[in-house]
Amino acid sequence: MKSRISSGIHHFVNNKSQKSKNTLFSLLPRYKGWILGLLALSVFGKGLSLLLPRMVANGIDAFNSGHFDIMVIALPFLLICATMLISDYILGIIQTYASERVTRDLREQLAAKISRQSYAFVQNTTASKLLTNLTSDMDAVKMFVSQGIVIVVSSLFILLGASVMLITTNWKLGLSVLVIIPVMGFMFYGIFSNVGALFGASQKIIDRLNKTINESILGATLIRILHGQQSEKEKFIVVNTAAKENGLKILRVFASMIPLITFISSCATLIILAFGGHLVIVGQMSIGQLAAFNSYVGVLIFPMLMLGFMSNMMARSSASYARIAEVLDAPEIKNDGTLVAELTGDLELRDVNVSFGETPVLKHVSFKLPAKTRTAILGPTAAGKTQLLNVLTGLTPPTSGDVLYDGKNVSQYDSRHLHAQIGMVFQDSVVFNLSIHENIAFGREVDKNAFDLAVTTAELKEFVDTLPEGYDTLVSERGTSLSGGQKQRLMLARALANKPKVLLLDDFTARVDANTEHRILENVRKNYPDITLVSVTQKITSVRDYDHIVLLMEGEVLAQGTHDHLMETSPEYVQIYESQRSTNQYEH
Amino acid sequence: MNTKATKPAEGGSASGGKTSAIAGVRKLLPLLKEERGPLALTALTILLASGINLSVPYIFGYAVDHYVRTANYPGIFTTTLALLVAFVIALGTSYWQMQLMGRVGQRMLFRLRNMIFSKLQSLPIAFFNRNKAGDLISRINNDTDKLNQFFSETLVRFMMSIVMIVGSSIFLITINWRLGLAALIPAVALYIFTQATSPWVKKRNAESLRATGGLSAEIQESLEHFKVVVAFDRRDFFRDRFAIANKINFKAAVRAGIASALYPPIYDLCANLAILIVLGYGIYLVSMQSLTLGLLLSFLIYVERFYGPLRQIAMLWNSFQLALAAWDRVSEIIDEAMEMPVLKADKASEGAFVRFNAVSFSYPERPDVLRNINIDLERGKTYALVGPTGGGKTTTASLMARLYDPTVGTILFDGRDLRSYSEVERTQKIGFILQEPFLFTGTVLENIFYANTNFATSTNEEKVDAINSMGLERLLSRFERGLDTPVSGADSISLGQKQLIAFMRAVLRKPELLILDEATANIDTVTEELLQQALDILPTTTTKVIIAHRLNTIEKADGIFFVNNGELTAAGTLDKAVDMLMHGKRQS
Repeated sequence: MKSRISSGIHHFVNNKSQKSKNTLFSLLPRYKGWILGLLALSVFGKGLSLLLPRMVANGIDAFNSGHFDIMVIALPFLLICATMLISDYILGIIQTYASERVTRDLREQLAAKISRQSYAFVQNTTASKLLTNLTSDMDAVKMFVSQGIVIVVSSLFILLGASVMLITTNWKLGLSVLVIIPVMGFMFYGIFSNVGALFGASQKIIDRLNKTINESILGATLIRILHGQQSEKEKFIVVNTAAKENGLKILRVFASMIPLITFISSCATLIILAFGGHLVIVGQMSIGQLAAFNSYVGVLIFPMLMLGFMSNMMARSSASYARIAEVLDAPEIKNDGTLVAELTGDLELRDVNVSFGETPVLKHVSFKLPAKTRTAILGPTAAGKTQLLNVLTGLTPPTSGDVLYDGKNVSQYDSRHLHAQIGMVFQDSVVFNLSIHENIAFGREVDKNAFDLAVTTAELKEFVDTLPEGYDTLVSERGTSLSGGQKQRLMLARALANKPKVLLLDDFTARVDANTEHRILENVRKNYPDITLVSVTQKITSVRDYDHIVLLMEGEVLAQGTHDHLMETSPEYVQIYESQRSTNQYEH
Repeated sequence: MNTKATKPAEGGSASGGKTSAIAGVRKLLPLLKEERGPLALTALTILLASGINLSVPYIFGYAVDHYVRTANYPGIFTTTLALLVAFVIALGTSYWQMQLMGRVGQRMLFRLRNMIFSKLQSLPIAFFNRNKAGDLISRINNDTDKLNQFFSETLVRFMMSIVMIVGSSIFLITINWRLGLAALIPAVALYIFTQATSPWVKKRNAESLRATGGLSAEIQESLEHFKVVVAFDRRDFFRDRFAIANKINFKAAVRAGIASALYPPIYDLCANLAILIVLGYGIYLVSMQSLTLGLLLSFLIYVERFYGPLRQIAMLWNSFQLALAAWDRVSEIIDEAMEMPVLKADKASEGAFVRFNAVSFSYPERPDVLRNINIDLERGKTYALVGPTGGGKTTTASLMARLYDPTVGTILFDGRDLRSYSEVERTQKIGFILQEPFLFTGTVLENIFYANTNFATSTNEEKVDAINSMGLERLLSRFERGLDTPVSGADSISLGQKQLIAFMRAVLRKPELLILDEATANIDTVTEELLQQALDILPTTTTKVIIAHRLNTIEKADGIFFVNNGELTAAGTLDKAVDMLMHGKRQS
């Protein structure tokens, strides 16, 4: 009996990492055919398997009564075995296929949903949580489909079938043996209600473990420079110990399960021996039926165990699917703008405020930038410059106020069309694990001339020509094979490849040397004469001839105007200018 | 009616998956070294508990023969009572055994995780460049999770199943060796079948694991770069790339699932065949008087107790294969030979503080970045590295900090080969502010004093004093909540703020050699002056190497090197350097 029982535990393990439930069932109608196939085949297979002990019992009784013929037993027995082999394997294949399909579709649905979301959504939800949704939460759904459904249905079926078999074989003994069902039920209830919370805790600890590992990989260089290995190990051991402690707690509850099941089923054997023995003695039962009873008790315990596990699995499944559903049901950014228009490039911010929670990041920012002009946004670290650009690109929607392109609110535009006309170069280099060409074209249709122009403007051409594979060279994920400046130029080329009307640069020159910077900005001016340029920068020199300079501090516009105007009116600007003046002589 | 054939036939040929299981477990043996005591105890409890549980069918059969068939009620009663006592003992023993075994598993898992993490910490930075961070992270997280499942749950049941199999086969062969051997024939067939197919299944599973790794790497990359996806409105690009990875994953998973689904039906088939064999041959033996009917009943139960666990192993097989595949991949890291050994210290020679002696360097399979560099840096001086992006400045600095070893040539630090310094010594003496600042989850304070042994036992006040003494306290106003500002997630604080922390972190360690690689690129010039003041407070013996594009940061340099095209040229004066920058051919 133990064997059947322990094979039940197996399911539990696989199911442990899974989740599903309520709403999860709403997934199923789409896969009606597959699900029905699963149920039919599993009931069919289990039904056949229930026949076997009875055939054995009949064989023994036939021998006892003196007319045993092996062929009478063997032929149907083998036929049933062969049928089970085929039907169970088909069942296995369907389980795999159906569950993988459901997961694949759901994953695609979730990814599509995420892809329609705002940047703020991904930032708030965090990439790692979404990664979990797309990976381990999906595994949960998969397990539900591949095992959950089949197990619940076939367990109930077997429970019922075996009980019927027991009672029809001998109702007195049958009823006495079935007493173990409620006893087991209580036991499972006790164990699983204890263990549930511990499993929840273990998931949290695993998240912490992963986080520690992740940081030690992403910060590998720094750790080696600071000799931080020891403190990383200490951090890790703390979390690892917590994981061990929790594992031991689970063990304490869980370790009782198999011994208890064995004990209870052994008690059933005792009932069969004592009471069944009596029934045989008084001639109400045959020896063969006694053997069948023993087999059916084994058959009975397994589905009970499974149902116990399933109830636990369902509870945790619901949590997992709820997490997926949360993302699926999140409100999408409104993109009801329909305006499709060629931009001329006029930009305006009207009393724009942005706050993250309680913290204001931008306060009452207003300015007007006419088309084809060049504007610099200047300010100290953490002044909100990057946020300002994020507002301009629509990455961060303003908490209040308006962002206007050509006098019309950003929300009126068809975002697809609008974005195609805005080029943005981020401060940190975002390089994908693709070829240089793909990184620049970035999935857009970029004609050869536009591409060449972008690459030439970004001063990438010479560098790429030295590479043996040219534009097909694969750039590694974190861009380790490119220097900081090369990555920045790659990003510029990406922004320019679509011939944007507005170009937004975030501290673009920070990692490019003065000479290259100068040439690149000249190139932009020459090759894209109609572009409206907004550049966040630290260096006054590179922008002193700009049409407009906005001085930003603590999220507020402190002063704006031309260089000369600011030199006369803004002491803060003068201060910054003075701090940089010593270098001016070298830079022009 | 004793059994005549009591010779313990030539060993339990019980196998099936067992041998390969042992081969797999053997790979993990080194981890078991410290567990000999608990394991021995576990073995004892297993023997006791299994002995009791396994003898039940025998006693059952014996009771049927001797008491039921002879209507001996006192016999039945005594047997039942004795069995009940035995069951209670078995209950206690097996609970204890589960606990012991589970603890061994937890401790092994603990050690294994520590081992992986420690190994990761000891690997040089070149290893991390070679591996995609996302893939590496997913590999480690996933694989340790698989091992976690294996050790926490699968292993215990695996061992128990093996004990059951061995025990049952001993009973089978002792009761009647001919019938026993006959019952084991299907097991031999299973063994051959499993041996033949498992490499194929393992390969399929490994492919599936790889595809999953690829999928999570893809998701991670896209999610982390989501702002680019949004800003360029390339949401379809994200979807398309995801769809491809999702499809690959689906195919691999289905292929793996179909392969693994083969086992359970085949195992069931063999178990049923064994029952048929026992029934047919057993009844023949009973009719020949060499077996009793009661023992035939016992036999049938033992066959079930033999094949049941075998089936369980088959069901665990997948999880076991996954664990093995995971272990293979983890072993790859643990066995990674890449290391940077500390050489024996040679005699210190007189001369420059830092000396490059005919140093050449290239990244694997790439052209030389530096060729035959010979430079001397004096103690207490400030040096600047200038040059176009991609010219080799960061590489030169990385060599000074021994992030890499030169391909050819040696670097002497304070007269000794840099490679002869222990890591503690080297990291104390050499500070490096990286181009891409990295922060750990925690507070600003924790990040500033990360791995700083000088302040290991300091109170927070002493730490604040240290910051004040460097004149850095004014920088703290840049953080919303000063030193207690929490740091978590990639974008919670700005790049400039990260650079401030990195700067304070490096300066407070008071290194003898301080390398600043674009350390202030995203910090405004006013703040930068504060940083300059902090640098001036450092002891006059501190040697500084500065990489910067803003020339004012390097104008006070005592020596300037122009780095380009694999060469380092002493530029002499700043004017000369500017001249080279302006007119030197850009080679990047």
